[in-house]
Amino acid sequence: MKPEKHIPADIKIRSSKKTVLIFFILALLLLLFFVLDIFLGSVSFKPAEVIKALINNTGAGVDTIILKFRLPKAITAIFVGIALSISGLQMQTIFRNPMAGPYVLGVSSGASLGVAIVILGYSSSIAPVNLMTLGNWILVVSAWIGAGTVMILIMFISSRVKDIMVILIIGIMLASGISAIVSIMQYFSNETMLKAYVIWTMGSLGNISSGQLKVLIISVSAGMLLSIISIKMLNALLLGENYATSIGLNVRLSRVLIFSCTSILAGSVTAFCGPIGFIGIAVPHISRNIFRTSDHKVLVPGTILTGGAVMVLSDIISQLPGSGSVLPVNSVTSLIGIPVVIWVILRNKRNSGLF
Amino acid sequence: MENNSNEILVIDSLKIGYASKSLLSPLSASANSGEMVAILGRNGIGKSTLLRTIQGLQPSLGGNVLIDGKNISIFSGIQLARKIGYISTEIVKVSHMTIYDLVALGRFPYTNWIGRIDYDTHKIIHDSIEKTGLKGLEDRYISELSDGERQRAMIARILAQDTDILIMDEPTAFLDIASKYEIVNLMRGLTSEGKTIIFSTHDFNIAINQADKIWLIHGSDLTEGAPEDLILTDAFNHLFDSEIVGFNPEDGSFAFHNKYRGQIFIEGKGIKRHWTEKALERIGFLPAVTKTIPFVQVPAGKNDKWILCEKESSSAFGSLYDLTRKLVMVDKVLT
Repeated sequence: MKPEKHIPADIKIRSSKKTVLIFFILALLLLLFFVLDIFLGSVSFKPAEVIKALINNTGAGVDTIILKFRLPKAITAIFVGIALSISGLQMQTIFRNPMAGPYVLGVSSGASLGVAIVILGYSSSIAPVNLMTLGNWILVVSAWIGAGTVMILIMFISSRVKDIMVILIIGIMLASGISAIVSIMQYFSNETMLKAYVIWTMGSLGNISSGQLKVLIISVSAGMLLSIISIKMLNALLLGENYATSIGLNVRLSRVLIFSCTSILAGSVTAFCGPIGFIGIAVPHISRNIFRTSDHKVLVPGTILTGGAVMVLSDIISQLPGSGSVLPVNSVTSLIGIPVVIWVILRNKRNSGLF
Repeated sequence: MENNSNEILVIDSLKIGYASKSLLSPLSASANSGEMVAILGRNGIGKSTLLRTIQGLQPSLGGNVLIDGKNISIFSGIQLARKIGYISTEIVKVSHMTIYDLVALGRFPYTNWIGRIDYDTHKIIHDSIEKTGLKGLEDRYISELSDGERQRAMIARILAQDTDILIMDEPTAFLDIASKYEIVNLMRGLTSEGKTIIFSTHDFNIAINQADKIWLIHGSDLTEGAPEDLILTDAFNHLFDSEIVGFNPEDGSFAFHNKYRGQIFIEGKGIKRHWTEKALERIGFLPAVTKTIPFVQVPAGKNDKWILCEKESSSAFGSLYDLTRKLVMVDKVLT
């Protein structure tokens, strides 16, 4: 070991100790929320009953609720949170826009359109009963294509318009336009197809089949892997296209990689859980402020942990523990996310175009 | 044949511009290792475009850019990034990015797939920060820096990039006078360590007094040479063809064409004479060789005053301001 390694100027060692501690706390929180999410719900069980159900499935009512309902839902929440948050982080960096996120810029809507085309358009020859077995992969891939198309569209717009707020407004218009198209498609489709689509749009964390959960886990894991590969590229892209090129980044190649990653993550979630708002835009800001860094080596894993934790927490809140009724998870994520977004807008006004 | 083994950067019949619409004729110029080269030219003539083309950010429309005798078109992005560092006028705005993070990005062409900072990399980053006088500010956010500090951080970044050639587009724009000279001094220091700096500027004084060579873009051509060579060949005379401003080849500066009021004799010497001449020139009097009436006596001692000697009387003035006010009045009386 070189003796110089202990020079006091080694500021990086000092700050990384703090970073490790924050990672540890976040992981602990994620675990805590995950356990709470299984223990709490509209039906109250004694902790002992829950543990017994997890260890030994006897087929009793308690066990069914825990194993068939609460456990998959908590796992879904983690993967949904991770997927939306990383896609938000990547979009914010690649568009250099603090307001970017899969929901606000219409990427989730693009994914819905992909799904709508499959269900309302192509499934006319398939009986609605078969829709669930139509192939979760077909559904998810069409969502990726829909999400990717919107990503390319926004890239095209951002290369012309530099104003962050203008892009945001265009994104909202895009999302509204896409829902209009979906409405028109609904108007012209027959009753059975419509019913199948409406059931899909009511999708939430809860009614996802075990087959769909498998597809979701595989897709989001692939997305996470791609996001880790893209860490160095994201750091270079913070400087903007010109500087990134000048330090040797192949901007076009990294865009293809990051766009695919974002589309897979945001698309998969939308395909099975419907559009879930404000997690993608808010979580990256939360983790930037927790870790106080712009370095994606910290931000990508940090966003994974924060995103998972925030989503599971939203799920706990949506069940209104002990009350017997359940809120739509989308309203909980909105209530958590919107204050963060407003805070970012106000801060951005002060710092003129910072992200 | 001159010895050109030292030529690190050569542009050879380079055509620059957008979409086959080239405004300039093919440009040729060169820079030697360790030189500071200033690019001068009017706004919009293509200085930034030339720098972007050398950096490989923009395809050329013809001709070659050679680094160490090798055409840059054979370089990969990473290889080029190890040869040339680039600072544009674009300001990097990223929240929560520290100076250290920014400078660390200069190591991009050298680090592994995830950008790991090992001890050697850390040392290079640390040295670059120290060299630009930012030691102790490593953890400061770039969004909180002054313009001068931010420009230093950007220079630290391309130092970490460890390139022989540094390209800077208007490095002293937006800076106050003190920061401007600090940055130029820093650039001078880097060239003495062997770096070659190509920079564009609108600051004629800095170009004339600090650059080893000037690439002057005028009309549709590029003329290169030492600042003094360009002055002696009258290259600057038509740079700003205008009725208001003219080039003064004597001291290498641009000056307003003042209303000519006449000639006046100045008696005296030293720095006070120099600035008396300047003041009188400003209000339209050129120094006369033979004695005129009235004439001005420059104060010799510390407590002496400026004396304006007229036909019969003479008056004393405590400052050049008072003297010039009086002369403007005299002129009015005479005309």
